[in-house]
Amino acid sequence: MTKINSIQVLKPGMHSSVQDLGCTGYRHLGVTTGGALDRHALILANRLLGNSDSSAGIELTSGSVELKFNCDIWFVVTGARYQISIGQRDIWCNWRNKIKAGETLTLRGPKSGMRAYLALEGGIIGGVENGMPETDSLLGSRFSGVLGAVLKDGDRLALGQAGTISKPIGAVPRGYSNEIRALPGPEMSLFSTESKKSFWNTSWQLTNESNRMGARLSGTSLSLLQQQDMESHAVMPGTIQVPPSGQPIVLLADSQTTGGYPKIATVIEADLWKLAQTRPGEEIRFVHVSPNQADDANYEWEQYFYRLQRAIEANG
Amino acid sequence: MNAETNLSSHNKKLTMTIEQTPKVYRFGESAVVIDCTCYFPQVSRLSIQRKIWWLAERCRLTDEFIDIVPGMNNLTLFMKGTNRINYWLTQLGECWRQAKEMSLSGRNVEIPLVYGGEFGPDLEQLAGYHQLSCEEVIRRHSSGRYTVLFLGFQPGFPYLDGLDSSLFTPRLAVPRISIPAGSVGIGGNQTGIYPASAPGGWQLIGRTNMPLFTPQSPGSPTLVTPGDTVQFIPVASLEFDAK
Repeated sequence: MTKINSIQVLKPGMHSSVQDLGCTGYRHLGVTTGGALDRHALILANRLLGNSDSSAGIELTSGSVELKFNCDIWFVVTGARYQISIGQRDIWCNWRNKIKAGETLTLRGPKSGMRAYLALEGGIIGGVENGMPETDSLLGSRFSGVLGAVLKDGDRLALGQAGTISKPIGAVPRGYSNEIRALPGPEMSLFSTESKKSFWNTSWQLTNESNRMGARLSGTSLSLLQQQDMESHAVMPGTIQVPPSGQPIVLLADSQTTGGYPKIATVIEADLWKLAQTRPGEEIRFVHVSPNQADDANYEWEQYFYRLQRAIEANG
Repeated sequence: MNAETNLSSHNKKLTMTIEQTPKVYRFGESAVVIDCTCYFPQVSRLSIQRKIWWLAERCRLTDEFIDIVPGMNNLTLFMKGTNRINYWLTQLGECWRQAKEMSLSGRNVEIPLVYGGEFGPDLEQLAGYHQLSCEEVIRRHSSGRYTVLFLGFQPGFPYLDGLDSSLFTPRLAVPRISIPAGSVGIGGNQTGIYPASAPGGWQLIGRTNMPLFTPQSPGSPTLVTPGDTVQFIPVASLEFDAK
């Protein structure tokens, strides 16, 4: 029997979890898309390792994480800035590095940003104890395996087939800004003129109650022109809903699939990652954009990854 | 008939037509919504929803959408990109005009329920609010036959139609941080079952041990699907998982 490449969790940190890019196709059953909150950071890490974009890695949220490896393997950490080391050796973020069998990888942070992504050559394909996920039911494998699960002490994660990487390579990540572009939502017009102005023109603080379901904001209280009951509609990551408290919530990857609160705006897909990288207590602002500008913003990401791919192919 | 009345009846007709046209709009970058609440209450929620099911089925056949999500008398279509947005913004109203009431061959699902006590902590308060006895609330709630209009919120959570209007109850002022899985509650004009533990503001009247979402199941991962009917069967006790 061939040895399975695996890592063992010595310290899980806070809310660390195994994440890929999530899945669609089940929202009519109430099953959310899930997946990495900063999708671009996970894709960047996977590209640097030659993995498929949707390979699963570990999303780190805070605290100290220690992982022991049973194999020689390349890895990358992207997203929030963490202090990374193997024994006495310091490791750079956004570069691929090699760790040897028996060594322990330590990650502490974040120093800036909020969520880091550890991707491993071959990607995480399941838990060692639970066996590999069943492939006959996509939904079953998403709920039975390690995917989306919070890491625990002693967890052992199985890795896929490693590639043929021979040297380190790094990438320059795109810069964070707290200006988050958004489109007006379906119920924007139901809000008072004052509230509409406040939404775009004042800053919003991310609160401690934020999690993978939603970024909860605090600031000027927003109110409707007149109270009214809303029927439940589909919602999605990026939807900004305003409950009766008047304090907006930006739904994130693990949000519910339908909701009945008025939706004041929608964060554009290209900027959703910024919410994943904002820390509780930090302030953000919303910038009103058009659907065309949202398309342009997606195109900029495509170009970024296209240039990255060319550079990897030239230097890899 | 003079010109004035003619004009006013024309206007009236026009207003009716405007009122009776569902709203179709873009939602975010790559979703389109059709909202048909304009027909309620002249048309029942269930009748409108039957057309929503028809429309969802019709859209599923096109293979253009990554997700097709019915809500309460509305439908959201999620697309891969933005290329076809404008096409569907105009086409969806057209499809609606062809929509027929679809009767899904629903099953009747009986759900055993322990009412009150530690499993339904709000039952007494809710009965007091309506000036009814707890027994009467249970009788009215369990004699209903509820139709599943759509699933949403959580995996397998059914939105049920048919709550006795004498049981409509406002949500709790302060939502609970965690509601145990299987809890059955009333919130506004709706009753429902929480498939997994979650925060929530509904008034809890009982609990079931029937799983609503079993993703590993080779058949349907959800206990009920749209078109099914649900009946609550009062029982004295049930075995609940320790967690």
